[in-house]
Amino acid sequence: MAVGILLITHTGIGPALVASATRLLRQLPLRTEAFEVAYDTDSELMLPAASAALRRVDGGFGVLVLTDLYGATPSNLAAQLARIGTPVRRVSAVSLPMLLRVMKYADLSLDELPAIAAAGARNGVIVDDA
Amino acid sequence: MIEREILVTNRLGLHARATARLVQLLSTYRCNVTLAAKGREVNAKSIMGVMLLAAGQGAEVILRVDGEDEVAAAEAVAALFARKFDEES
Repeated sequence: MAVGILLITHTGIGPALVASATRLLRQLPLRTEAFEVAYDTDSELMLPAASAALRRVDGGFGVLVLTDLYGATPSNLAAQLARIGTPVRRVSAVSLPMLLRVMKYADLSLDELPAIAAAGARNGVIVDDA
Repeated sequence: MIEREILVTNRLGLHARATARLVQLLSTYRCNVTLAAKGREVNAKSIMGVMLLAAGQGAEVILRVDGEDEVAAAEAVAALFARKFDEES
């Protein structure tokens, strides 16, 4: 029961997060890919390439799509992707703590992972007054 | 329950990669494990938890392990710290 992970972000963000997580964990337990959305592109035009990425990470148990900024073009593209058939759940504000927590709970189902992802991001925010 | 003091000896302290290594190691054990330092005790199976300790080189941390495989887990953790998380050869 391995869910796929697809990061859909503005240019530069997703690949850097995936690279950092891979460096920290040595190997990611879930099939993961980063899809970059160039500035000022029409999300309609990116849909074929994005859905190809979605299919590449889907192992038959659905895909958790992580976007960087809710309401921005990458997240609007993710919303369109969620309507093409593959089971998709979406969580915004992807961060390294979020990604690491998702990888730690790699055996959970697609319906359980959004809460894990959200908690990872929330717990990652530390106001450091130490 | 096993409790032992462990010294952080690697140069970078409990930074992200070392922490990830520790958490991955501990995920193979069933026992409960915590690390404590500077008055704060955290779940040693959580990356963010361990990083909250912000334990640098020279810090003393207290390892507490509780569960059926506690002896093996405590040994494995102590060995990982002693090996400096395999970072320095």
